[in-house]
Order: sequence, then structure tokens, then C-alpha cells
Amino acid sequence: MTTYTNKPSPSNWLKWFDPRHRDTGTWAFILNRITALGLTFYLFLHLIILSQLAQGPDAYDSFLELAKTPIIVIGELLVIVAAIYHGLNGIRIGLTTFSETSNIQKTVFYFFILITVIGSLIFGIRMFTA
Amino acid sequence: MSTQKWKVTFKVHRQKANNSPNYDEYKLEVDPEEYVLDAVERIWAFHDRSLTFAHACHHSTCGACGMRVNGVEKLTCITFIHEIAKNGSTIKIEPLRNFPVISDLVVDMSTLYSGMEMVGQRPIVPLSEEPATSDIKPVKAKDGDYIRLSDCIECGLCISACPVATTTSGYFGPAILAGARQASINGGAETLKLVDCADGVWRCHSAYECTEVCPSFVEPGKKIMQLRRAVLRSRIKSLFGSRN
Amino acid sequence: MIETKSIQKPDEAAGLWLLKVLLGVLIIIILTIHLIVNHFIGEGALLTWQDVVDYFANPWIVFMEITFLVVVVSHSLIGMRSIILDLNPSKGTMKIVDWVLSIIGVVSTVYGIWLALKIASFSV
Repeated sequence: MTTYTNKPSPSNWLKWFDPRHRDTGTWAFILNRITALGLTFYLFLHLIILSQLAQGPDAYDSFLELAKTPIIVIGELLVIVAAIYHGLNGIRIGLTTFSETSNIQKTVFYFFILITVIGSLIFGIRMFTA
Repeated sequence: MSTQKWKVTFKVHRQKANNSPNYDEYKLEVDPEEYVLDAVERIWAFHDRSLTFAHACHHSTCGACGMRVNGVEKLTCITFIHEIAKNGSTIKIEPLRNFPVISDLVVDMSTLYSGMEMVGQRPIVPLSEEPATSDIKPVKAKDGDYIRLSDCIECGLCISACPVATTTSGYFGPAILAGARQASINGGAETLKLVDCADGVWRCHSAYECTEVCPSFVEPGKKIMQLRRAVLRSRIKSLFGSRN
Repeated sequence: MIETKSIQKPDEAAGLWLLKVLLGVLIIIILTIHLIVNHFIGEGALLTWQDVVDYFANPWIVFMEITFLVVVVSHSLIGMRSIILDLNPSKGTMKIVDWVLSIIGVVSTVYGIWLALKIASFSV
């Protein structure tokens, strides 16, 4: 029988990031995927930038001046927030896989969001008042 | 039944043959205590006989009437209009996601049905294997044990809601994995081997949308996690001895 | 259709998934150590080239950072592979993806180890 549209397709990938009409777990999934992509981008960027270190004090220290600009500091804070959230959701996934805790996955998510916010505030305050 | 009448606009997804989908609007007077399916039926009966939709039992047993109502997967025969709308609202009615559309609100769910058969999901199970989460009447089988109809009604809402099923038709999906869990709950090494693959239990990303939309207490998300543990136990057993 | 290819290619999905989780746990541990240890250097941050060189003078630090590198790069690439798998690639495409990811992994690791040892060598 001929059928049309609505089929699963890789071109639907944008829908991964659409939280409309969806519940808490989808937020966990969306944030996990976004932080994964963000952290991966940061990882390889970081590795490339660190090559400055091998070029001696002048190259590295002048780069560090750049690193003190507000945009970069905000970027670094975002990396920290992303890492905290991604790690905690990873724990949520491990927890629900290896123990019978699927029924409290939402509560676990909310709790981990709280920790992420608290952690972000702590690091944020330290970074901007240093 | 209350005597109150609401004026509600229904925006219904229409698609015939190779034409692009569009939405038709129908203004109805409805009793808020009616179900969304009742309204769809009335649209078909009194407004447009070309509207195609699936329905059968009208009491959440057959799984035929699953649709997206205002974007959320619902079993329309048990979704009160007052649950999802107010007087004067617009209700959007669309077919389930992630299944090919045959016509209007009807999708092709044959992959779901064949998948269930493939993993050996049983429509009738011993009560001991599937404890009742709701008030059901178990029946005594010939050998004296109690049996019941399995919770899963194969409505497909879970697959529609799953983010992974949106981009890949290869993924077994929550319904079938929950079915595999039911089939293998007392062993079933073959079933476990079947789901122990990249497109099986390991594809899930714990969004738990399946559990959110399931109208029948199946909790597919939880079942997938239980299935993962069963798969790992079976693997460990086979490392140290024979698979059971 | 649950394409029959998914039955034909079981993939070492379980192994990679478990590895991803294990690496994740290691990242949490090592990252914590990394943050704590950084805190005791200089004014709580490696703010000059000299600070970094002094930090890498300690062979335990070199060991920790290299381990961190391997663990993070592996976790990240296995994760990227998972995302690509969600897009239902063909067997052939996946073979190419696996090669590309493996090469990125090896190159980053070799480069990272070289860099760590180079910085460590500045204080010899």
C-alpha cells in the first residue's frame, strides 16, 4: 500500500531539539545532546589552542590576555555549566539503567537541574569576582 | 452527561494520495464530557465523509484511535474534550508521528505489529508475569493459573513520541522493546539476543516520552531499562557458563 | 520497517555503550581531581606560561592529564558516533564514520600526549 510523508527520516533531526508538547525527559535529552555537541566543539578547540603553549611564553601569555575578555569568560562558564549538566544527566542515565529507578527519573532530573544551577552560580561568582 | 455545549474549532490534518498535507477546519458544538474521538466521528458523519480515521472499540482496548491532539499523543476514545480544550478553543488533530500516513489520520502501523510478532510479545500472559496496575479481572486458564490480557494495546503512541524513532526506522522502538521484555521475562535468551544490538536496547536515550504518553500502564521506558539489565545478565551468564 | 539490517548487524553496541558510561564515570572522577589540583597552583589558576610549565613538572600531573585526554576524547567520539547512528546511516556510511572518528581519536591523542610531554620537557 502506498504511503506518504510522516516517515522517520534523518532530515527530521531538528525535531530532536523541539520541546513543544513534550515532557520533562525530553528536556533532559535535548540538553544532553546540546551539551554533548557544545563540549565536543570546546574539547577540540581547546586542544588546538593549547598548541600555543608549545610556542613559548610570549605566544601563550598574549593569548591569555584574550582569555580575560568577558565574552571568553562567559564562554568558559558555559562550558562549566554544560559539563556539570551533562555529567549529572549521564549519572541519571546510568542510574536508571542499572537500578530500578526509572519511576523517579523526573525527580532525579529536577534535582540535578538544581545542582547544575547551584554549581553554575558558585563558579560564575568566582569567575566574575576573581 | 452535562447539558453544557461548547463551541470548538477542529483543525484536522488531511492528506489524500500524493497531495501535500493541509488542515481543514470544522466548527462543532460539543459536549465537553464527550471524547475527542466522538467529535472526529461527528465530523466524518455530518461534515465530511471523505475523512479517514481509525477506530474500533471506543474503550481503550484495541489501540486503533491513537492521534496527536494539540501536538500530544492521545488515545482519543478516552480523551475528554474538557481535558484538552476550553469553550472557544481550537483543537488540532493530526496522525501519529513516525509512521507513514495512508490517508488523513490513518497511519501504517504494520512495522509495529510485525515487530511485536518478531520478539514474541504475548497478548495473553500469566498474571504472575504481568501484575495488574489497574482494576482488572483475571481469568483462570485451563491449568488453573490466572491469565490476563497484556497491558500493551499496540496503539503506537510511544513510537510517535520517541525522539529516536523520528530519525530512524531501524530502531525497534519502545513498544517492541517493552514487548521483548514481556516475552523474555522468564528467560528467552533468543529474544534477548535479538534486542541486544545498536538498533535495540542500546539506542534509547532516556527521554521517557514513551512512558509519558502510554495510555495503558506499560511504562515502556522502564521496561527498556529492565531489558538492558536482562541482556547484560544473560551476557555475563554466557561468559561463565551457558545462556539459560 | 524494522529493517532486517539491524538483525544482521548486531554491532558491538553493548560494549561501546558500557564503555561510554565507564568513561563518563572516569571523567567525573578525573575532572574533579583536575579542578582540585588546579586550585592549588599559583593563585588558583594557571595564569601564565610559567605556571603551566611548573604544573607539568610533576609527572603525576602529566599522567593525570594524559589519562584525562584519552578518556574525554574517547567518550566524546563514541557519543558523536551515537548521534550519527540515530540518523540511520547505511552500513557503508557507518564504516566511513568509524574510520574518520578513529583517526580523529588517534590524532588528538597522539598530539595531546606530544604536547603534554613537550610542556613537561620545558622544566627539565
